[in-house]
Amino acid sequence: MAGASRTGGNLVEKETTETDAVAAVAIGLSAVLFALAIAAMFERISLTGTLAGVETVTLLGGLLTALGVAVIAFGVGSRFGSVETDPDPSAGIIAGGGAAVPWVVIGGAVASETLGFGTAVGAVAAVAAGAVAFAATVLPREDVGSTLPLGSLLAVTGLVFFTGVIGPTWVWELGWAQQAAITAEFLIPVATLFTTLYGGWASAKAYGGFGARGRHMGAYVLVYLNAISIVAFLFTLVAYVVVQGVPGLLNGADIGLGTGPETTILGVSVTLPVSVPFVMNGVALFNDFQGVLPAIVGTVWLVIGAVLLAVPLGVGAAVFLTEYADRGRFTQVVEVATNGLWSTPSIVFGLFGFAFLIPRFGNGKSLLSGMITLGFMLLPLVVITSREAMLSVPDEYRDASAALGVSKWQTIRSVVLPAALPGVVTGVILGVGRIAGETAPILLTMAGGTFIPESQTVDVIGSFQFTSAPPFVANPALLEATSALPYQLYALITAGVGLGSSVSDPNAFRWATALILLIVVLSFYAIGIATRYYFRRRLRHN
Amino acid sequence: MSENQNPQPQTGTATTDSDQSLTTTTGETVEQTRDEWTNYEFQGEAKMTVEDLDVYYGDDHALKGVSMEIPEKSVTALIGPSGCGKSTYLRCLNRMNDRISSARIDGSVRLGGEEVYQDGVNLVELRKRVGMVFQSPNPFPKSIRENIAYGPKKHGDLDTGLLARLLNRSDADERDRLVERCLRDAALWDEVSDRLDDNALGLSGGQQQRLCIARCLSVDPEVILMDEPASALDPIATAKIEDLIDDLSEEYTVVIVTHNMQQAARISDQTAVFLTGGELVEYGDTDQVFENPHSERVEDYITGKFG
Repeated sequence: MAGASRTGGNLVEKETTETDAVAAVAIGLSAVLFALAIAAMFERISLTGTLAGVETVTLLGGLLTALGVAVIAFGVGSRFGSVETDPDPSAGIIAGGGAAVPWVVIGGAVASETLGFGTAVGAVAAVAAGAVAFAATVLPREDVGSTLPLGSLLAVTGLVFFTGVIGPTWVWELGWAQQAAITAEFLIPVATLFTTLYGGWASAKAYGGFGARGRHMGAYVLVYLNAISIVAFLFTLVAYVVVQGVPGLLNGADIGLGTGPETTILGVSVTLPVSVPFVMNGVALFNDFQGVLPAIVGTVWLVIGAVLLAVPLGVGAAVFLTEYADRGRFTQVVEVATNGLWSTPSIVFGLFGFAFLIPRFGNGKSLLSGMITLGFMLLPLVVITSREAMLSVPDEYRDASAALGVSKWQTIRSVVLPAALPGVVTGVILGVGRIAGETAPILLTMAGGTFIPESQTVDVIGSFQFTSAPPFVANPALLEATSALPYQLYALITAGVGLGSSVSDPNAFRWATALILLIVVLSFYAIGIATRYYFRRRLRHN
Repeated sequence: MSENQNPQPQTGTATTDSDQSLTTTTGETVEQTRDEWTNYEFQGEAKMTVEDLDVYYGDDHALKGVSMEIPEKSVTALIGPSGCGKSTYLRCLNRMNDRISSARIDGSVRLGGEEVYQDGVNLVELRKRVGMVFQSPNPFPKSIRENIAYGPKKHGDLDTGLLARLLNRSDADERDRLVERCLRDAALWDEVSDRLDDNALGLSGGQQQRLCIARCLSVDPEVILMDEPASALDPIATAKIEDLIDDLSEEYTVVIVTHNMQQAARISDQTAVFLTGGELVEYGDTDQVFENPHSERVEDYITGKFG
C-alpha cells in the first residue's frame, strides 16, 4: 500500500504514514477473510479441521477480532487527533441503517435464545440494540460513527468464534414443524462474510481519511469485493463441473497412431490418432467404454436447425418493424408480443410442439419437431436484439444513402444490415446459450431413448434423398427421434435407466455428460463471439 | 432592388405574389408593406425554380409561401436564425422531406423546367441530379473506395461483384478512375491516395466531410445541396471546404445553408435571408444583401441586433 498516495485537506500529496499502513493492512485482512468465508461456504476449507496450524474457527475468530480492534483503534485515534483525517460531522443515515441491521440480529438472538428470555423480550432487545447502533453511527463525528459500531460488531463476532461459544459442531434447532436448524457450517461462513464486508468498508473509509474521499474508497472496496465474488462464483461452478467431469470424459481415452475409430473425411478413410470413447461412442452392450456421441450430434443439429429457422425470420421481422412499419399501435403490439414470447416458459413451447408439430411430422417425436420448437423459442430474442441493433444504426447513414438516390431496400441491405450485424450476432449468442440447454421442449418433442447406440447417431447431411414424387427431397433422419445432451443428463439423473449394467461408474458418466454439455454450449458461444468480432472489425477497421 | 433592371421578365422574377410580379411598382409597394424583398433578378439561366412553397410539420407551418429562383453554376447561400426553415427549404429541393412522415408540402419546385413535386417523379433520378451534403460528416462505415463507389454501384453503373469478377467483366478499373476523379474534385486525393482501402471512419472530421462531398460527386449531380457543411469543423478544415465550394461552383449549382454570415459573404454569389416564422425576407446579390439590405429586419439580423 506504500505506493498509494492520498490527498487529504491539503493539495500536496503527503507521505504514507504508519497509520495509513494500519488501515491498509485492515483492508487486506478483510480481503483475506472474505476469501476464507467464501471458501468455507463452498466447503473448500473444513471448519472442523485446521488452517496454518490453528483450528479454522479459532483462526477466523482471531482475525475478525483483530480487524475489529484495528478499525476501532483507527476511528478513536482519529477522534482524539492522533491520526490525521478529514471526517464529516456524521456518517449519515444510510450508514446508520447499515450498522443497525446486524446489531438487531445479534440483540434479538442473544436476548431470546442465548439468555432465554423469549420472543417478546427478544424483539425489544433487537430494537434496542439496533437503535443504539444507529445512534452510535449517526450522532458522533464520522470517524467514530463509521468505525465504533462496526468495529464492535466484528470484535464481538470474532470473540464468539475465538472463544468457542459457537464452535464447529454448534447447532441451533429452530423447533419448527419442519426440520430446520442453523448449523455452524452455515452460520460461521455467512457471519464472517457479512461482518467482513462491513469491516472492509469501514477500513476503506478509514484509509481514505473519511469525508468524501473516504466514502469513495468505501464504495470502491464494496463494489470490488462484490464483483470478485461474482467472478469467483462463476469460476467455482465451472471448475467444479470440470473437476467432476474430467475422469468420466477421459475414461479409456488414448493418444497414438491407430488408436482412434475409423472415420471418413472427404471420402478418404482415416484412423484418428486420438481416442476419447466418451465422445466417440454410443452405448452398446459390447462396448468397452460407453459414450454420448448421439446426444452430442443431436444437440449440435438441434441448435443449427433452430438458428437456421429463427435468424432469417427474426431478422426479416426486425427489418420490417424498424425500417418499413410506421411506429404506431401495430409495432407496439408486436413489441409486447415478442417480449411476452421471450418470457414464455419453455415447457409451454414444448407442449405446443407436442400438440401441434408432432401430429404433422409423422406422428412421432422427431429432430425436426425439436428444431422448430427451439427455433420458435429463439425467434423473439432474435427479433428484439435485431431491432435494437437496427435502431442504433445512425439515421445519417440512411440519409446519406437516400441522398445518393439509393432505394430503401438496397440501403437496408448494404448499409443498415452490415452495421447492425454485430448486435444481431450478440442476440443469437444469447439465445443459443438458452436453447442449447433446454430440456423440457426436447423431452416433449424430440427425445428418444436414454441410451442410444452409436449406429443411431443422426446423420442429417447423409440422409438427404431425392425422390420421384413431390417434394422430391426427403430426409428421414429429420423425422426420427434422437437424443440431446440436456435431455440425456436429465434422464441419467432422474431415471438412471439401466446405468448399473451398461456403465461402470454412473456418477462419472453423469458428470462427464454435464461437462460435455457445458463444452458444447461454450463452443457455440466461442463461435458467436468470433463472428461478432469479425463483423465489428470489418465495420471499424476494414 | 430595381437598380439592376433585367429585360427578361420570365427569368428572375420570383415574388411571393406572382400576379403582381410583372408590374414592378405595385409589386414594390406590396413588398414594402410586407417587408419582403425577394425579387432577385440575375443574368443567366435559373437551375431551380421554387414557387409558393409551403411546408407543414403536423400543425406547424414551417415554411410560408417561399418563391425563389436559383441561378445555375453559382453559390446560393441561405442564412437566417435557427428554426427559420432554411434547412427545411433545402430538403424540399431534393424531396428529402418525403422521408419525414408528418411533413406536408404544397407548392412547386422545378428542376430545369421539370416539376419535382408531381406524381411519377423518379426519386432515384432526382436525387442523383440533386445531391446533398449533411451537417455532420456521415461517411459509411466502409472503406474510402467503397464509400465513393457506393452510389454508382447501387445504380448499376459499376459492377465489381463476385459474379462480374468471375466472368471477367469487372469494372474495377473504371471504379478506380471514378474514385480518383471524385477525390481529386473534392481536394482529398493527395491526402488519402495511399490508403483507399482504409475505413473512412478513421479520417479526420474535415477529411470525412470532403469525402462526403466526393461521394456526392460520384453520381454526377447538377445541383449540390449543403446543409451547414462546415459547422462541425475547425477553421482550417472550414477554409478547405470553402475553397472547394468555390471550385465546385464552376461546374455545379451549389446551394448552401450556413449559420456563419462571414462564410456566406465570402463564398456565395447570392444570399437568401430567412427569418423566424419560415418566411423568405430578402434575396439578392450577396454584396447588396450584406452591405445594403432593403429590409430593416434583415439589416438588424445581419448587424446582430436580432437573431
